[in-house]
Amino acid sequence: MYDKPEGLFSSISGLFHRTSRVVEALKGVDLTVEKGEFVALLGPNGAGKTTFLKLLSGIITPTRGEARVLGAVPWQRTDDFRRRFALVMGQRNQLWWDLPAAESFRLHKEIYRLEPARFERTRDELVDLLGVRKLLLQPVRDLSLGERMKLELVAALLHEPEVLFLDEPTIGLDVVAQHSLHRFLAKVQAERQMTVVLTTHYMKDVAALCKRVVVITHGSILYDGSLEQIVDRFTSHKIVTLDLDGPPAEERLKRLGFPYEIRGPQVILRIDRTRIADVLPEILRGESVRDVSVEDVPLEEIVAELFRSEAGQAPAGSQR
Amino acid sequence: MGRYLSIFLCCARACLVRDMTFRANFLLECLTSVGWMSMNLAFYLLVFTFTSEIGRNTGWTREPFFAFVATGLIINAIVQAFFMPSAEELTEMVRTGGLDGVLVQPLDAQFLLSMHRFDFSSLANGFVGIGLLVWALLRMEHAPPPIAWLLYPLTILCGVAILYSLIVMLAAATILMGRNQSLYDFWFYLTNFSRYPAEIYAGPWGSPLRALCTFVIPILLVVNVPARVIAQPFAGQTWGWVAAAIVAAGGALVLSRVIFQAALAKYRSASS
Repeated sequence: MYDKPEGLFSSISGLFHRTSRVVEALKGVDLTVEKGEFVALLGPNGAGKTTFLKLLSGIITPTRGEARVLGAVPWQRTDDFRRRFALVMGQRNQLWWDLPAAESFRLHKEIYRLEPARFERTRDELVDLLGVRKLLLQPVRDLSLGERMKLELVAALLHEPEVLFLDEPTIGLDVVAQHSLHRFLAKVQAERQMTVVLTTHYMKDVAALCKRVVVITHGSILYDGSLEQIVDRFTSHKIVTLDLDGPPAEERLKRLGFPYEIRGPQVILRIDRTRIADVLPEILRGESVRDVSVEDVPLEEIVAELFRSEAGQAPAGSQR
Repeated sequence: MGRYLSIFLCCARACLVRDMTFRANFLLECLTSVGWMSMNLAFYLLVFTFTSEIGRNTGWTREPFFAFVATGLIINAIVQAFFMPSAEELTEMVRTGGLDGVLVQPLDAQFLLSMHRFDFSSLANGFVGIGLLVWALLRMEHAPPPIAWLLYPLTILCGVAILYSLIVMLAAATILMGRNQSLYDFWFYLTNFSRYPAEIYAGPWGSPLRALCTFVIPILLVVNVPARVIAQPFAGQTWGWVAAAIVAAGGALVLSRVIFQAALAKYRSASS
């Protein structure tokens, strides 16, 4: 990668001499995904998630290492392999911009050599499932982001791929559109037993769709396991929220010795999960409580904490 | 092959639909294109008010020369309509990562990248070229023999193949460089040499240039060979030109393929 120093003089000297550095986008990533799995790749920006998907779909060639998808080496780009998977990138448009999506679908049918009856059946099924039939004849440039993403997904699934790579498919979408895509993806994946690898920054996507989560930071795998295990493994406490009738007795809260926060009539405590059963009756005894809830730490918070930790400092046994 | 033809036709159909959607733009492009070409023709007519022949004893008198110009218009119209728009778009695709979407499709990437966008308004010049060719041939002193009529489309195809190969090589440079916005300019400078009869490249400067544009970058064979076949008396020497065009077209296609594949292997994609 070319390191471009700031300033005009540096730019001029950069015409004659450039310094560059090697960036290892991915290193030591060892991952096996079984048929029919729905796996989420999580990681901060620049962690290597998209690079990983690009490698698996054969867009780029690694400097070293091996990968097999459906038994094929992706970067050999054989037609047989490319007919069996699809890639959808939330930040890229793959439909013809000035034309209705129906035209792109027609081209897709030719490229993937789809039998007309099968093509029509799959297309109708997918557009009905997403409720986008009326958008088929509208130029893509006139569609909203959510509508466009739905049609991108239809295009990607027309040839009934066995593997689907999704790179931030819900980026920029409103809650309704996100929810709609979640339902659609969950249904299609379950029905087709499709293998899906998803990169996202939204924990709602993960919670709604994936049982397995792989966390990547600095190009290496930091965690690979179930969603539930993340919570168990990386947090030692739960969040207890008390909804009080009157002002909280702060002195008593201090005496309990747990971190707390007061938000109006609410008190939020972080209590060691092994001590919840002992401590909770004591807390409730001294306060006039209208409501109480005990919850896990939000996933976003756990994952953000994970991202902050260095790849090399991963807790023992967190890698598969 | 049938599949590639149907994809080609499907892309062509989609582009035609798009062009028709922006009909004012389409008509304006046709008019601009024909306007520019008319100015060129007027310039050549002006030249022929001062001279009866381009060069001395070259055989490029007014009508044969206009047949030459017509041949150039036809070849350029084909290239501008079917290959250039895709190549121009490739620069942007490489810079923004749009190329990723093409590489995952089960299709030859070179085919899809070089033939997915068409500009039908560029064909307007081609139709004018056909009209001009008919006009010139009807006024020429000699009628082209049947073999010339057979070889003319073949050599036109060779010319298109040479230009297509150059486009592909420039597009490959785009992939390697990440950005190549001077692609069209460079193309224009190169093809400029093909717009005149080879005979004008003579003398201490002209001869090396002629050798360079014939044997290294065979741009001089693009229009000169088909134009010579149809507009000059058919002689034994013509066969040599035809053979040269066929060899150059084949070599250029192979070389461009090798360069394009090498460039694709180096593609790094853009960050998303």
